[in-house]
Amino acid sequence: MFKSKKLLVLLSMVLVFALFAVGCSQPADTTPDGDTEQPAGDVTVKDTLIVAQGGDPASLDPHATNDQPSARVMKHIYNTLVTQNQQMEVVPALAESWEVIDDLTYEFKLRQDVKFHNGEDFTANDVKFTLLRAKESNHIGHIVGAIDPEGIEIIDDYTIRISTEKPFAPLLAHLSHTASSILNEKAVTEGGEDYGQNPVGTGPFKFVNWVTGDSIELERYDGYHDGPAKMAKVTFRAIVENTTRTIELETGGIDIAYDIQPQDVSRVEGNSDLNLIRGESFTTGYIGFNAAKKPFDDVRVRQAINYAIDIDSIVEAVFQGVGTPAKGPLGPNVWASHQGLEPYGYNVEKAKELMAEAGLADGFKTTIWTNENQQRMDISEIIQNQLRAINIDVEVKVMEWGAYLDGTAAGEHDMFILGWVTVTGDPDYGLYALFHSAQHGAAGNRTFYTNTRVDELLDSARVETDPSMREKFYLEAQEIIRNDAPWIFNNNGENIDGLRKNVKGYMQHPAGHHYLYNVYFE
Amino acid sequence: MHKYIIRRLLLLIPVMLGVTFIIFTMMYFTPGDPARIMLGESAPESEVIKLREDLGLNDPYLVQFGRYIKNAVVHQDIGRSYTTRRPVVDEIMARFPATLKLAAMGAFVAVALGIPTGIISATKQYSLFDNIAMVLALIGVSMPNFWQGLMMMLVFSVYLGWFPASGFTSPKHWVLPALTIGTSSAAIITRMTRSSMLEVIRQDYIRTARAKGQVESVVINQHALKNALIPVITVIGLQFGFLLGGAVLTETIFAIPGVGRLMIESIFRRDFPIVQGAVLFIAVSFSIVNLFVDILYAFVDPRIKSQYK
Amino acid sequence: MSNVKTVSQEAQAQVANNVPNKKRGPWREVWRRMKQNKAAMVGLVIIGILIFAALTANIIAPYGYDDQNLPGRFQTPNSKHLLGTDNFGRDIFSRIIYGSRISLMVGFIAVGIAALSGGTLGAIAGFYGGKLDNVIMRMIDILLAIPGILLAISIVAALGPGLRNVMIAVGIGAIPGYARIVRASVLSLRDQEFIEAAKAVGANDFRIITKHIIPNSMAPIIVQATLGVANAILAAAGLSFIGLGIQPPTPEWGAMLSSGRNYIRDYPHIATFPGIAIMITIFGLNLLGDGLRDALDPRLKS
Repeated sequence: MFKSKKLLVLLSMVLVFALFAVGCSQPADTTPDGDTEQPAGDVTVKDTLIVAQGGDPASLDPHATNDQPSARVMKHIYNTLVTQNQQMEVVPALAESWEVIDDLTYEFKLRQDVKFHNGEDFTANDVKFTLLRAKESNHIGHIVGAIDPEGIEIIDDYTIRISTEKPFAPLLAHLSHTASSILNEKAVTEGGEDYGQNPVGTGPFKFVNWVTGDSIELERYDGYHDGPAKMAKVTFRAIVENTTRTIELETGGIDIAYDIQPQDVSRVEGNSDLNLIRGESFTTGYIGFNAAKKPFDDVRVRQAINYAIDIDSIVEAVFQGVGTPAKGPLGPNVWASHQGLEPYGYNVEKAKELMAEAGLADGFKTTIWTNENQQRMDISEIIQNQLRAINIDVEVKVMEWGAYLDGTAAGEHDMFILGWVTVTGDPDYGLYALFHSAQHGAAGNRTFYTNTRVDELLDSARVETDPSMREKFYLEAQEIIRNDAPWIFNNNGENIDGLRKNVKGYMQHPAGHHYLYNVYFE
Repeated sequence: MHKYIIRRLLLLIPVMLGVTFIIFTMMYFTPGDPARIMLGESAPESEVIKLREDLGLNDPYLVQFGRYIKNAVVHQDIGRSYTTRRPVVDEIMARFPATLKLAAMGAFVAVALGIPTGIISATKQYSLFDNIAMVLALIGVSMPNFWQGLMMMLVFSVYLGWFPASGFTSPKHWVLPALTIGTSSAAIITRMTRSSMLEVIRQDYIRTARAKGQVESVVINQHALKNALIPVITVIGLQFGFLLGGAVLTETIFAIPGVGRLMIESIFRRDFPIVQGAVLFIAVSFSIVNLFVDILYAFVDPRIKSQYK
Repeated sequence: MSNVKTVSQEAQAQVANNVPNKKRGPWREVWRRMKQNKAAMVGLVIIGILIFAALTANIIAPYGYDDQNLPGRFQTPNSKHLLGTDNFGRDIFSRIIYGSRISLMVGFIAVGIAALSGGTLGAIAGFYGGKLDNVIMRMIDILLAIPGILLAISIVAALGPGLRNVMIAVGIGAIPGYARIVRASVLSLRDQEFIEAAKAVGANDFRIITKHIIPNSMAPIIVQATLGVANAILAAAGLSFIGLGIQPPTPEWGAMLSSGRNYIRDYPHIATFPGIAIMITIFGLNLLGDGLRDALDPRLKS
């Protein structure tokens, strides 16, 4: 018996040790991703930047997807004709200059020193090919939808004219969208169905490898027309779990973590190895009413609920003070955003009066829909709680994203929570789809809000080329929307990114597609 | 024996068909339009309709199902992902190594911890070791995996800094996930080994061996262990099969690009071809592991072999 | 070694005693054996406390489960809030007490669904045999080949989240286990004399199954069910963890844990206590299940 016990103890010890041996067999001087860890004070500089975001891109074919994780990677592989700088001004990119020919037509002069990663020269042909292909795309066709396919005219190899069917004021903003990235015809044809996994662009980094669900590796393109980027390699990792992403940043597994969650802000700020970068984003969070349905068809009910919700407490409790309470439908950094609007404020008495006027002093039962996003679920719980004060009995329905999109598009909902990113920074993008009555349902206007004056203003602003007139239209539209209250105007978001202290030259982009061309290690 | 294996492999065909049918039907009737999800909340309806057309989603249920089966059987093609447009087989094979590694490491932890502990507990029944081991084993079973993973990450990567918190690129990365999924299996295997050993120890032939005056360690190792291991192997097989498909939560927490997570993400995205492929793949692996276990029996216990005709 | 010998002799004696007992006899005997098993009694006490908490939640919980107090959020355990407050300032202790209702309900109903439908399928398969058996068991194989949590996720994705659908999803995932167990015990009973006798006196199949076969195959089902409740609670918590669980503000433990994990670094108590509640419950159910198994199957008594 004794002997056997000894043997068994030994055996189990050996096994447990073997396990730990496997665990620790990695030489101690390498970090997880294979680049050399530096002893403190060493002068050799790391040359691989590891960036983590919350999802894996769907495709690196700009015409095959329209999601944020993909756009963030594609921004480094491709260039657009024009681009928006951090201040959202349109500046030259592949086009070195442009002029307005008439209300419908722009003429672009292209750079002559640009080569694709596969060695092909960049010419007007590629632009035409790209725009025509983009128009055919199911995913992003609407972004270049205004362009007239017959109106793309190649003047010479480095001059191209692009015209729209109707005057379209935000054209340049749309041409700076990552969906308008310029592709190479030869590479696309060769890539065939697998092009999305073998992208070829003109950008500062070229594609190397993609481990699906895990990481994408890019390498510096030495022939980049603005000079090579500072980093030799950039790796984009997908780390879905927010807590894990922050932990990885703290432990040095990654250099930049995108989208730090509000509850981790103070932790990153307080860590002397890290820097926290935060800035306004184009995201607006809102709670929509189904204005086509009783009792939300009554503007007084919608206003009453706006008064009955303490937005500050939501921003404080759910977002830990990140972002600002929204005044209207557009965030403060979107062009022509109306910041003179008066927020509803928290006023339960006023809310009760309005409910009484609407004949609903005794309240009603309703539901609020949300998808399985923790912050939205939290918001809906607070709303549920606060609306009890005006006798509204709210049931929270958490739905899975697919069913949620379907249901809200079909108008089966009462109240719902969504957010909107005005990617282009142009009010057309942030208002037209959401409030124009032609966009009811799936197209974006999930509140089924209808106001003919707003429709008129949005239509006119879209074709108006005089910026001051456009601004006037948008200001009026925002004022009407604020008073009609198809939303509870909730919060304006922030981009919050965490950086290791030695990461320098990082600049945020309000649309979230941060550009890493100038990033280096110190 | 080989006849038995062939028969078992043939039985896989109806299982695969059945799994395909169930998942296909379920996905088809699940609310949520793949095209709409892919295009996002802002895409115009016209594009969604076009994409639905391209993906063949407007066809009636039976047409779609028939097409799927036909492509699978005739062309050995189970389609491409709606989202990435990569062939389903490529997507799954890209994820499989991580899943297999995780399952193997988990099984290793489970066996390494479970079997010795179980044997000691059985031979020293009611000892302090036994009692502590059994309480620990019960705690191991009772702890939700995802919670355990988070707690371990907190302790071992944040406070102690011993292991990286996520990813699956080097052996160092394997430790925490393997421990997370291994411990609950270890607990089950410990309990199984113990009770199976206890049962065997009381059998007549063990008494005979003892009566013959054999050394206790020989009795345990030569006679008891071999027989006690048969049910334990079943459990190990089941656990391994389970780990192949059921490690979704662990994969999510530790950001491991495995088949389980691929499948969950695809369900959320309504990427039907991937869901189909992944479930089928998991089901087949599970069945093959079971078959393997059954064959293993024959080697451990020759008596069973005669049943495999 | 003498210890082991006496135990097994005792066990044999009990097997011998077991057979001639009268109708209610076996259960009394089981109870007698259970009482001697300290671990099982601990399990029983834990489950007893839980059931008590579930029944009297509205009396014993110091606060409501949805009493928000935003200024008072993130309190660590103190005299007013025994287990602290969560991110809405709700009392975690009260939510855990109310949560016992949900968890027990999910556990028992899901297992009920599984045992009833799985048991029926298994009984039919085992009793009739032949083609029907083959068809049913192949279906069960198919179900078994799809990992439980994946099946549950797909079902919840199809039906939508919410308490009822979670119970259905978890229940369906557990069907194969019961079908197999019941089939096996029906097979062993089918050809026994008392069944033949019942057939001979002209009892119909339904009566034979419900009056003779099921009562006699209860033991393994009970054991499986006790452990099944534990699995169901864990499965529901897992579903909540991936966001497909029960609707807020329902204080389901898995959902509490899942939403608390965002604050796990600064306020670990929010996720820790629901985790402990789950653990203790599963622990108790396992102790009880083990005890029942030992008591019902004297051979295994240890």
